[in-house]
Amino acid sequence: MKNALARGLAAAVLVTASAGAALAEWPEQPITFVVPYSPGGGFDAYARAVAPEMEKILGTEVVIENIPGAGGQKGAATVYRAEPDGYTIGIWNVPGLTVPQLLGRSSGYDLSDVTWIGNLATSKYALAVQPDSEFESLEDLCSQGEPFKHSDTGPASTSSVTARIAMSLIDCPIQNITGYKGSTDTIVGLMRGEVDATIKPIASLRKYADSGDVEILMTFEDEPSMEGVPTATELGYPDFANFDLRRIVGGPPGIPADIQEKLSSALIEAANSEAVQEWSENAGRPLDPVGAAEASQIMSNLMDFYSTYKDVLEQ
Amino acid sequence: MGFDVLLNAIWMVFSSGSAIYVLLGVMLGLCFGVIPGLGGTTALALLIPVTFTMDSLDAMYLAGGVMGATSFGGSITAILINTPGTAPNAATTFDGYPLSKQGKAGMAIGAAATASALGGILGLFTLLLVIPLAKELVLAFGPSEFFLLTVLGLVAIAVSARGKLLRGLIAGGFGLMLAFVGSDTVSGEIRFALGSDYLWDGIPLVPTLTGMFALSQMIELALKGGSVAAMGEEAKTRISGVWDGTKAVFVHWTVLLRGSAIGTIIGAIPGLGGTVASFIAYTSAVQASRDPSSFGKGNIVGVIAPESANNAKDGGSLVPTVAFGIPGSAETALFLGILVLHGIDPGPSILLQNEREVYGLIVALTLSAIGASLLGLIFARWLVMITYVNVHFLVPVVVTVSLTGVYVLDGRPGDVILAIIMGIIGYLMIRFDYPRLTLVIALVLGETAERSFHQTRQISDGEILSYMAARPQSLILIVLTLLTLFLPALRRRRARRAEPRTQ
Repeated sequence: MKNALARGLAAAVLVTASAGAALAEWPEQPITFVVPYSPGGGFDAYARAVAPEMEKILGTEVVIENIPGAGGQKGAATVYRAEPDGYTIGIWNVPGLTVPQLLGRSSGYDLSDVTWIGNLATSKYALAVQPDSEFESLEDLCSQGEPFKHSDTGPASTSSVTARIAMSLIDCPIQNITGYKGSTDTIVGLMRGEVDATIKPIASLRKYADSGDVEILMTFEDEPSMEGVPTATELGYPDFANFDLRRIVGGPPGIPADIQEKLSSALIEAANSEAVQEWSENAGRPLDPVGAAEASQIMSNLMDFYSTYKDVLEQ
Repeated sequence: MGFDVLLNAIWMVFSSGSAIYVLLGVMLGLCFGVIPGLGGTTALALLIPVTFTMDSLDAMYLAGGVMGATSFGGSITAILINTPGTAPNAATTFDGYPLSKQGKAGMAIGAAATASALGGILGLFTLLLVIPLAKELVLAFGPSEFFLLTVLGLVAIAVSARGKLLRGLIAGGFGLMLAFVGSDTVSGEIRFALGSDYLWDGIPLVPTLTGMFALSQMIELALKGGSVAAMGEEAKTRISGVWDGTKAVFVHWTVLLRGSAIGTIIGAIPGLGGTVASFIAYTSAVQASRDPSSFGKGNIVGVIAPESANNAKDGGSLVPTVAFGIPGSAETALFLGILVLHGIDPGPSILLQNEREVYGLIVALTLSAIGASLLGLIFARWLVMITYVNVHFLVPVVVTVSLTGVYVLDGRPGDVILAIIMGIIGYLMIRFDYPRLTLVIALVLGETAERSFHQTRQISDGEILSYMAARPQSLILIVLTLLTLFLPALRRRRARRAEPRTQ
């Protein structure tokens, strides 16, 4: 009896000590930062920009792992299923991932459980046509008598979602031409004249507008960010400014609060560091970092927003 | 023209001493190329984090060095052990390996080296010529052309399986079946994924190629025993053979030009790649030859054509990059990823804003194509010794290294299992004489074919034929496809008519 008690006490002490030790010393291992796309894209760029700074701040390696597939779902599922010990985090394709989840077709993740760590940037969209296009306004596109053709990479892509919902708000018939391999290909498709218009993040379209290869009719914002280009709000479509693309970072459900806090402050500090700010300037990638609490709020607002448009998405 | 910029870029490589990076890249590229299962994409993917601390121009030299060397590296194992080091070298095995078995490995390597170097240079030269037209060229080829090109590729497969047409079609059909596994391009539905998420994006290419070409070959060699080349070949013949191979490329200069042209054009079209380019170059060489039946038995032209194509494609794949800053192949996608890492945002103005990086890459590719071939020629004599190594040593080494390479790529055990399954299937195909390359090409083309077909259908609102008829690019491709289909039959008829006279 005494033996068992002693053993039990020893075990209890060991467990508490090790748990305490683990929490106090986290991180002790390298952290895996999952990017749900192949190297070279936007999400990849953000992750690779902040990772080296996070390494310095946290004192451990932060290793980028590219897990492309299924429109970001594979990477999402990998992070979702990982141990909630703070050693696996990822950047999430949001609002793209909300679509399969809302329609009940997702597998491997549930956005409402994810431990959100922070949001790095919020990108707004813009509507582009060919430079010498016959369409000089959104009204032109909508009054053709048949749906206007829009290029995107698939029904779960954020651009497709934005386009379909926005056009449903103003009763403008749209036909989504899908199958393009990446958002750059959708822009090339527009340049070739295969489609009439495309709605893409401003950062992606800007360089094509600067080189004269596309013309941007409007940006979906309240405040203009491009010289000479009107905002949708100015032109009478204030709802369009509600659509955005997030660069949000999160980990599997159940990460302990203090580890979540450490990850969050490391992420924000990294994003605000001189090196990353400089990268953001040069690469034309906006940065607007916010922490865990705001990120969680953003996500729940976002889920509510898109669930009201479930029937549009189901078409 | 861009030539003065090019000369400046060449000067910069040597004067700054950064040529060392090109050399490093070449050696890395050769190693990754030689090892079956590893290749240019693996090498570049592993290099991305390494380049982070380097100057962006030096990173380009390294990347270019790697890219230009892997295609030749892969030809070495293709010729010596019938195992393509990279998928675009698969067609090189058709005549390269028979040459090895006849003790003429040196000649084959010499030809491969020379064709690779010259093919690479021709591809890059063409790129420089078309830079002013790059944007128009990229915009001229759309989904309907992509679809017709895949049809052309599939027809070429069918036609090339002379004598085993039915088996070729079965292999191709099976390849297409495998291509349709994964998410549907239009609706996003997952097909045939058998319940796990491993197959969500379809059957991954690298493990399939490794299994189908490398592992299956190792099984065959292991069961056969002995070594690749017959014993008792004269050492002298081997060494002088290398220069015979080099000379052969100049003798068959039309083959070199045609192979390079095919490689450059197909390289410029996203979604096709070096495997398709080298295969089509090979089949067109067979069709254009006066003695088609000599292929597959050690005709040196069968080495020259694919090897010039798979290097020329490097130049072609940069056309979309210089036009719009977009990738034309998996390797150029990684090259652009390196630029992104260095804070550069590739776009339509890439030539204006990042001229030195782009030209740095072009220069590195050129030097690499030449350098890799020179190194290959110098070491040809020792490389040829591999054909005399007993399979008991050769097989375990190749199998271990290949499977490790497959695992290293994405860290998924599923890849290794897939490679083994494909290896078994590949071995059965060897035993029962089904063409493996046909299956692989169909697998590569299947996804692009389906996607482009649906895009064309949507864009043309269902009026596919009238849409294509209005596009000269599409019409040319349709004509080429019909020619490919009926030319062999026409030639056979002409040959039959010629026979009575000779009797």
